[in-house]
Amino acid sequence: MRARFVAGKVFGAFGTLVFVLVFNFFLFRVVNDDPTGKLFRGRNLSQDQLDRRRREFNLDGSKFEQFIAYLKQTMRGNLGDSFLSRRPVTTEIREALWPTIALVGTSTILSMLIGIMLGIAAGWRRRSGTDVAATSFSMFTYSVPDFWLGMVLLAFFAVKWPWFPTGGFEDAGSTATGFSALLDQAHHMALPCITLTLAYIGEYMIVMRSSLLDTVNEDFLQLARAKGLRDVVVRRRHAVPNALLPVVSLSALNFGYVLSGAIAVEAIYSWPGIGQATLEAIRGPDFPMLQGLFLLLSGSMILANLAVDLLYSLLDPRVRGR
Amino acid sequence: MSDVVKTQTTTFSPRSFRWQRRRAATVDFWSRFRGDRLALFGLAVLLTFIVMAIGAPWISPKEGLSAVDSIDNPTWATPRFDYPFGTDNLGRSVAAQFVWGSRVSLWVGLSATVLTIAIGSAVGVTAGFFGRWTDATLMRLTDWFLVIPFLPLAIVLASVLDRSLRNVVLVIAITSWPGTARLVRAQVLTVKQRLFVDRARALGASRFHVIRRHILPNVAPLILANVTLAVPISILTETTLAFLGLGDPKRPSWGKTLEEAFNAGAISRNAWWYYLPAGAGIVIVVLAFTLVGRAVEEILDPRLREGGL
Amino acid sequence: MLRRLFGAGVIAGVVLVGVSAPSAVAQDDPVTMTIGLMQDMSSPNVTVGYLVPEFEVWNLQYATLTSKAADDFSTIPGLAESWVESNGGLTYAYTLREGLLWSDGTPLTADDIAYTINRSRDEEWYNHFSTVENLDAVVIDDRTVEITSSVPDPKLPTMDVYIVPKHIYEPISFDDLESYEALDGVSSGPYSLTEWRSGQDWTMVKNPLYFGRDNGIDRLVFRVFSNADAMVAALQRGEIDAAHNFNASSVEQLENDSNITVVAGLQGGFTELALNGMAGGIGDGNPALQNIDVRHAIFHAIDRNVLFDRVALGLGSIGTTLSPSADPTWIPDLGDGAFAYDPARSAELLEGAGYIDSDGDGIRETPDGEPFVLRYIIRSESTDAAPIAEFITGWLEAVGIGTETTVMDDTQLYDVSVAGEYDMFAWGWTPYVDPDPMLSYFTCDQVTYDADEAGYNDANWCDPAYDELYLQQKVELDPVKRREIVAEMLRFFNTNSTYLVLLQDPDLQAYRTDRFEGWLQQPAETGPVLFTNSSPTYESLTVIGTEPTLISEDTTEGTTAAGDDTATGDTAAPGDTAATGDTAAPGDAVIAPAPDGTDGSGDADDGGSNTGLIVGIIAAVLVLGGGGFFLAKRRGSVDDRE
Repeated sequence: MRARFVAGKVFGAFGTLVFVLVFNFFLFRVVNDDPTGKLFRGRNLSQDQLDRRRREFNLDGSKFEQFIAYLKQTMRGNLGDSFLSRRPVTTEIREALWPTIALVGTSTILSMLIGIMLGIAAGWRRRSGTDVAATSFSMFTYSVPDFWLGMVLLAFFAVKWPWFPTGGFEDAGSTATGFSALLDQAHHMALPCITLTLAYIGEYMIVMRSSLLDTVNEDFLQLARAKGLRDVVVRRRHAVPNALLPVVSLSALNFGYVLSGAIAVEAIYSWPGIGQATLEAIRGPDFPMLQGLFLLLSGSMILANLAVDLLYSLLDPRVRGR
Repeated sequence: MSDVVKTQTTTFSPRSFRWQRRRAATVDFWSRFRGDRLALFGLAVLLTFIVMAIGAPWISPKEGLSAVDSIDNPTWATPRFDYPFGTDNLGRSVAAQFVWGSRVSLWVGLSATVLTIAIGSAVGVTAGFFGRWTDATLMRLTDWFLVIPFLPLAIVLASVLDRSLRNVVLVIAITSWPGTARLVRAQVLTVKQRLFVDRARALGASRFHVIRRHILPNVAPLILANVTLAVPISILTETTLAFLGLGDPKRPSWGKTLEEAFNAGAISRNAWWYYLPAGAGIVIVVLAFTLVGRAVEEILDPRLREGGL
Repeated sequence: MLRRLFGAGVIAGVVLVGVSAPSAVAQDDPVTMTIGLMQDMSSPNVTVGYLVPEFEVWNLQYATLTSKAADDFSTIPGLAESWVESNGGLTYAYTLREGLLWSDGTPLTADDIAYTINRSRDEEWYNHFSTVENLDAVVIDDRTVEITSSVPDPKLPTMDVYIVPKHIYEPISFDDLESYEALDGVSSGPYSLTEWRSGQDWTMVKNPLYFGRDNGIDRLVFRVFSNADAMVAALQRGEIDAAHNFNASSVEQLENDSNITVVAGLQGGFTELALNGMAGGIGDGNPALQNIDVRHAIFHAIDRNVLFDRVALGLGSIGTTLSPSADPTWIPDLGDGAFAYDPARSAELLEGAGYIDSDGDGIRETPDGEPFVLRYIIRSESTDAAPIAEFITGWLEAVGIGTETTVMDDTQLYDVSVAGEYDMFAWGWTPYVDPDPMLSYFTCDQVTYDADEAGYNDANWCDPAYDELYLQQKVELDPVKRREIVAEMLRFFNTNSTYLVLLQDPDLQAYRTDRFEGWLQQPAETGPVLFTNSSPTYESLTVIGTEPTLISEDTTEGTTAAGDDTATGDTAAPGDTAATGDTAAPGDAVIAPAPDGTDGSGDADDGGSNTGLIVGIIAAVLVLGGGGFFLAKRRGSVDDRE
């Protein structure tokens, strides 16, 4: 039963991946069927040279042949060369990956922890002062466009009071290594990280709160109370662990979004991550780069979804039995 | 008018019965809604903004948006009596942009939501009602779309299409319908289990009839609740797209104001009057929609009736 | 198309040469100058790149045969110390400086020069071809190369193509050349590129074997910003030493900073309003634009003074006519030929041409009875494009011409412009020093009739009379006569073409005055200090608080010969200015807050960044502490378990 469930899920994820590959290819080829002209604009290339370039970028042959070539190449882990920098797309993406993971990963974890704490505080004492305050705060941060929050923080904490750098990943041309380099990066990351953390908190808080509210009335809690356990113990040992499930799945899903979630904020803080790379590739337009980025972003979503499904089957017996 | 209703009531036609039931539901809805003070407050705020959006031409003459008509104005003026929110780098009144921006933001938010819900509901109802391979196909498609990263896809689509409000609406709808489709399908599946659907089918009602008369009315509350909660997302998406320069260049949405402020250097000269109002407008409208939406959801979604927030 | 982006794109003689290695030896901390800019390189490969940033890199890495004077672009010695003309101006023999070396120690000889010129001609290298198209180079001996042109070429003896190291490039086939990363770091100029982190920054280190002056700066770091405000703030905080291309709105605030100097340098770049001339009937432009009265009506409706005040914020200057050269002296006096803002005249011209608002909706109708509406394309890649569009569409509406706007990025706009599928747009050009390329763009040859052979003529306007003059100046070896012909061309262009030049665009740059001095404008007084035609500023800079003489003592061994050259060859321009800069140094240094040049920028923002660090650390501790508390409580609950 279990094995079949897992196999089914994995197979489904694989099917999705195939769809993404197809979609990915045709979305960009439909947009622009022969970008060679743009690629080599202004250079005096003979027909011969143009043809060779087309072959190089897999742009010769019918759409179908191009697609097969694209599939083959992708299977080998080769995402092609960027039109703009002419470097391998995998290299370009690898360079942009770490800053984004560092930034969005940190802020996801922070907002999760803070959101869960606020959610517990609010949900356990419904309609108390804490609840009203925490809920209002969460709803407010949920309503704020993340990039605007970034602009305001930038204007006040980097320009008006210049406590933080105005952008970038580290000091330009920094030769620092080890701890001081880390400190420098943390300093640069502070504002964008605070921006994203604030923007994400609301969601976790609201989900945690309502999940806890659902749990509060369940029989086993009444039972625990009837046993005469202290309120705090009931909360810690029985209510919270059971209410955590939706939050866990939400955060697993959000980790799928981690890579694509911060485009506008990265733009505000000149953060050299995936979001910036995406914006630049769109401006090109740099099709191999866009295809590579979409594959990466969709792939991480597929993995996250799969993880949530499997996690659920592990944690929630009702799902397993289905 | 009331006479007509009365006579019809006495004849007790199914039609008048339906009307009566709907009216009762509306009255019931309103009395519950009125009980939620926050939601009422949200509604009042929304109405204020809607009045402002509709009345923009009378509140703030359109010339205020024109750089050519603002040639004699000071640039970067701080707020004062004749320019309540100051002026921008071209001498245009920020207040005028705020008033006119509410129009675009609300209009895009609402119409994108309607389109999103329409696509999502159509897919969800079809999948849920017909089941089998229709369901399997449509849900697979939905899952696929759910996996494609939303914002990058929206940006790619928006940069490919012409920059117009219509296309912004289209992009938002194309990228955000799958969530609604899933939700609606689940609700259709539960409705389908109920007796009256089987009975109607047994009596020989056509599929279309069953969908229209039995399924839709039962799914409608959920769809409505979904609408109010989807508007904020549409507004935020429009704002982000406009901020990234993908909005309609001729319509002053709040997102576009923020883009222009950012590009004009409002941050480095700390011209707070330029970038704060538009952002605050977004926050207030989104918050108001969320307040109203939560109340509507709580009233209409049977799952939330007990417990709830 | 790309050439629009060329900016400093002058195939320039760089003043300098050089590669990595020693100089940093003795010092703990290399002296680093950091320059902020808004654009990344497209490629450091001279056969591929086309953007302004890589031209600066090439100017620093590849010395040219002849260089350009900092103040007026006149031809001065580069790798060649002298040259001799023969054959009626068709042939020049260049003599190289003595003892030239590539930064890896390989001798730089006439063979490198001939190799570069001949190969770039045969393979039509993008950035070299227009210069070397008709040239042939022959090695006479190690220090002598003879260059012969097959047609009269007024550009000679200027030879400003980037000379590449033969020993590096020879093994690279034509097929592989385009994908060559060009991070070999072999340089003949003052610096060599060692590292490029795409989208972030690139680093150039000093070439100790460079023949010119050592400025005491060990490393140059170019940092790419995606947000101009952030760059300005970084400059004010001392994170960077200079900034290139920020918003005009930041100028006021930077000028108020006593440690910062702002330069709004002109090097010929301009913004024009282009109307579709549909030469040869290509495209789908509005036929009304074929009528010269309608075009002049549009020109008279536009108030360039307002654009200058409100969009350019009074920086740069108002456009007059096509500016064909980085050297402003090429622009003739137009007299009354410029189109003054005159809406009444505009209306009069439109009515005379039969464009009358007969239905009273504020928009005129064409003689065919259709509403007169023009499509206006706004560039998405310039922050000024939207305000310019805002004004121009407003003025056109005021005289009864309707507009429809669309936004396009530069790639899209290039495509529609050469296809003639537009009515109007505003875009810009940056010319080279020699006016020939800019003038050539409006000949009939450059109209794109075949998409596979796209030309540069984006106005799709051309005229046989103009072409005739163009060919005359192209082979006129008498400089005075050539200038007269060019002036005539420009007057003709101004009246008859579909271009209205709106603004002369400045390169907005700013630099800190507390760490380095000796910043040099090219051309003198009006030009920018960075990203200029031949980038002479770097060689004239000095680190405040250091003695230039000490630095030259650093260079030992084989560089003595180079030291000699500095004394002689450089006397013309950069050397002079550097000398005056030096004398001013001590006085400045007293005022400068950083007594020790090496960490001046650090001092400037220490207070701020420490506060920030402290706040950051407190925040992190709070967050981690909160998390720890949360976890600890959970653990506690486990202990509680019965």
